[in-house]
Parts: sequence; C-alpha cells; structure tokens
Amino acid sequence: MIEVRNITKIFDGKAAVKDISMQFPEGQANLIIGRSGSGKTVLLKCILGLYEPDSGEILYDGRSFTRMKSAERKTIRREMGMVFQGGALFDSLTVEQNVRFPLDMFTTKTSAEKANRVDFCLEHVDIRGANKLFPSEISGGMQKRVAIARAIALNPKYLFCDEPNSGLDPETATLIDDLILMLTKEFKMTTIINTHDMNSVIQIGESVLFIHQGEKCWQGNRGNILHSENKILEDFIFANKLYAQMRREKTGMI
Amino acid sequence: MDWLFHVGRYFWMLGKTFSRPEKFKMFVRQLFHEIEGLGVNSVGIVVIISLFIGGILTIQLAYNLMNPLLPVYLIGLGTRDTLILEFSSTILALILAGKIGSNITSEIGSMKVTEQIDTLEVMGVNSISYLILPKIVAVVFIFPFLVILSIFFGLLGGLIVGPFTGVVSLTDYIDGIRYLFVPYYVTFTLIKSVFFGFLVASVPAYYGYFVQGGALEVGKASTKAVVNTNILILLFDLVLTRLLLTA
Ligand SMILES: Nc1ncnc2c1ncn2[C@@H]1O[C@H](COP(=O)(O)OP(=O)(O)OP(=O)(O)O)[C@@H](O)[C@H]1O
Ligand SMILES: [Mg+2]
Repeated sequence: MIEVRNITKIFDGKAAVKDISMQFPEGQANLIIGRSGSGKTVLLKCILGLYEPDSGEILYDGRSFTRMKSAERKTIRREMGMVFQGGALFDSLTVEQNVRFPLDMFTTKTSAEKANRVDFCLEHVDIRGANKLFPSEISGGMQKRVAIARAIALNPKYLFCDEPNSGLDPETATLIDDLILMLTKEFKMTTIINTHDMNSVIQIGESVLFIHQGEKCWQGNRGNILHSENKILEDFIFANKLYAQMRREKTGMI
Repeated sequence: MDWLFHVGRYFWMLGKTFSRPEKFKMFVRQLFHEIEGLGVNSVGIVVIISLFIGGILTIQLAYNLMNPLLPVYLIGLGTRDTLILEFSSTILALILAGKIGSNITSEIGSMKVTEQIDTLEVMGVNSISYLILPKIVAVVFIFPFLVILSIFFGLLGGLIVGPFTGVVSLTDYIDGIRYLFVPYYVTFTLIKSVFFGFLVASVPAYYGYFVQGGALEVGKASTKAVVNTNILILLFDLVLTRLLLTA
C-alpha cells in the first residue's frame, strides 16, 4: 500500500498540488482523475520522487520515502515500475533490449535467464515477433504495451502509469486498461493510474481520486461516481453526454 | 547573473557525471557505442575537410610567398605549422562542435522531453552519469586521433594540390614539411585537443539534459549549445596558446 499524507508541491509560487492525502491499497486499480493541468502528473512524480514535495509525506508500505536518503530510495526504486505518458521507450534500443534493460542494469542473471524473463514479460502484454524492432517501427499501442512489459521486468511491487491509454483508439485503450488490471491482480501490485478517460474509470476504477486545480475534490469508486453530488466532478464526468444519459437511465434523475 | 547559474549547474552536472558507474559492463557497452557513433562516424568529414584545407593553404601560401628572395620550402613549412598549430585542433574542434555537439544535445534533449530520462531516474539509474560519462570519455579519447588524422590528410592535401596546380614542386613541398620540425607543436596541439574534446561533449550534454518543453526547444538548445561550445573553444585556445607557447 502506498500512502500519501498532505502532499503540497509549489511551482513558481503557485501550488500545482495542494494538501492531498490518499491511500492506495494493493491488488486493485487506483485511479487519479482530473482535467488536463489539474496536477495528476505532478502528484505522480511526487510519489515517484522525481519531484520533491514542499511538504507532506509519502509512505511505501509504511516506509517513509520522503525521509529516505537517495541510497535508501534506490532499494525502493528496484520495486517500482513506471509507464510514462508516451511510453518513453529508449529509442536507441530494440523492443527486446528495452525490456531487458532493467535486468541488465540491476541483476546478475545469465543471458539465458534474462531472455526467458524478457519473453515472459512480452508474452504477458501480448507482443510477439517484434523483439528486434525499434520503438519507431511499432505502433503507439504496441509501444505502450512494451513499456508495460519493461515496467514489470523486475517484478515490481508498485506500478505507476501516467495516462496509459492516451492517444489510443477506444478498443486498444480498453485492452491496455484490462491488461494493467490483470497484471495488478496477478502480481498483487500496488497500482496507481493517471487518466482523464471516463471509460477507464467505469471499466477499472476500483478506487478513484478526483483532483481539481491541485486539490483533492472527491474520492470514491466506479460504483458511486455517477451518483456523486459533487458539482465539479459532475462537470468533469458529464462533459461527455453519454454518461449523463447513463445516469438518467440508472436513476431516473434530471 | 544568468550565466553564473548556468556555470554552477554545469559543474553540478559534472559532479554527478563523474561518479562510479551503476554497472561497469553497461558503461563499457555505452562507451564503445559512443566511440563508434561520435568518433568513427566523424572520420569521413575530418578527412574531407583536412584534404581541402591542406590543399588550399598550400595554394595561398605559394601565392603570398611569390617573392624570389623567399625560399620555396616555406610553403610546405607554413602549411605544416598552420595545420598543426591551429587548424587540426582548433578549427577542427569548431567543426566537430557542430557535428558531434548538436548530435549530443538533440539525443539527450529528446530523451529528456519524451521522459526517457525520467524513466531512468525512476528505475534508480543515475541518468547523468549513465548518459553523459560515456560520451565525454569517448570524445576526449577520440579527439587526439582525429587531430593526428587531420594533420596527416591536411599535409596530403597540400602534397596533391601543390604539384598538381604547379605552385610548388613535390620535392620542395616535402623538403618544406620536413624543415625545422618542432615536435613540441604536436604535443601542444594534442593537449589542446583533449580540452576541446571535453568541451565538445560536456557543454552540449548540459544543454540537452536541461532542456524543457518539446521538439522545438530541443532544436533551439542544439543551436545554443553549438554557439557556446564554439565560444568556449576559442577562449580556451587563447588561454592555452598563451600558457603553452611562450618561450
Ligand atoms: N516542472 C514544472 N514547472 C512549473 N510548473 C509545472 C511543472 N510541471 C507542471 N507544472 C504545472 O502544474 C500544473 C499541473 O500540471 P500536470 O502536468 O500535473 O497536469 P496533468 O493533470 O498531468 O495534465 P494532463 O492531463 O494534461 O497531463 C500545470 O499548471 C503545470 O503548468
Ligand atoms: Mg499529465
């Protein structure tokens, strides 16, 4: 479980993330949602330690990440996997080398063992026959999946995804969501996903944190999000008419 | 005071660069990759430019030294010393700052804006050391070789162009390039090349690593990197020449 306590991050005198507290339990998909520019990426980067929060504390299974020295943090970093918004595959390395990179860097496995692990990870994300291709030679959806394979290469306890299905067609986006959920359950990871896609929320949102202008605005899950009375959240959700209609049908409201 | 910030951050970066590599095997792999990508791939342009400049220098010196009172061996001697003292280290460094430097800035810069560097950091890799150290070591290592290569092909250029255009005979040219040879000049130019190599790798790496924004900013950073590397090369040239060439 990851716990965030009163995190604030200020850029140029303006708070991008303001006093957010939240618990992200393991084995389920924890979503952070909000409009573009609401501070999702900043919050995630604070949790990852890429930004130092100005105040607050972050706990990884009770271990205070905030108070650790960089050497101690390295041990926790070995337990993290991250999928960035654009995939962020190393473009000078092939698909296979990308997935093998963390193994090369941090393990003393033999090349046969590494090859096995690479195959295992690529199979899990359903990539076959692309081992020798470079990132520029595969589609955006495949890049995301390879990025997921790389993220799980070291068998992480914590998985982070920043808008894993942005820029993908709805069908591929659904596949990626399902894949992340499936891996989360299978490997009992603590998973945090940033998204502004309501489809993902409805599909996999077992826990949902809604942030607005850097502040925690609502917390719940896919079961109760359509019934929330929160005005700002409603504006966010029902920007899409389809969901407005879904709510009308379900509740007979409005 | 803006430049003070950059100087400070540049040295901070160098401090991070020269820390023990995460995994030595990975460092060696990257090093060979960079020696090939930055060094071996520059051999072509060095050979071509040196051949031309050597030839052109010979013609110009022959033209300037047309006075019958001046010995003809001065043509070869002049070509040789100009190549060794200035062209093959300084001018070559300026040219390579354009080729190697912009390559380094755009590679590191695009890794930065596509979050590849963040990916390394999340994994717990010291991204500065992992990306920049092999580049600096590779370029510093390869530069002296490129300088020697440039001197050789510059002299060859004069040797071909001089007799071919008839401005100097083959024997006069060869006599000239052997006359009053000062081995220290070669040492001097090699010392300079080590400094220039360091600048050509580290300054563009700095501009790439700290780029913010997107592809447009990466392009702008490349331009800035090349201009500033050039200025620093000339500054170092001035200082080193004053320090090392005083009798
Ligand atoms: N490095 C930074 N320096 C200064 N301001 C920043 C920085 N990073 C983010 N911000 C600001 O913080 C705010 C939140 O940005 P953030 O990237 O977290 O939004 P987001 O919710 O991830 O949006 P999107 O859905 O578009 O990715 C924005 O106003 C942004 O301008
Ligand atoms: Mg974002």
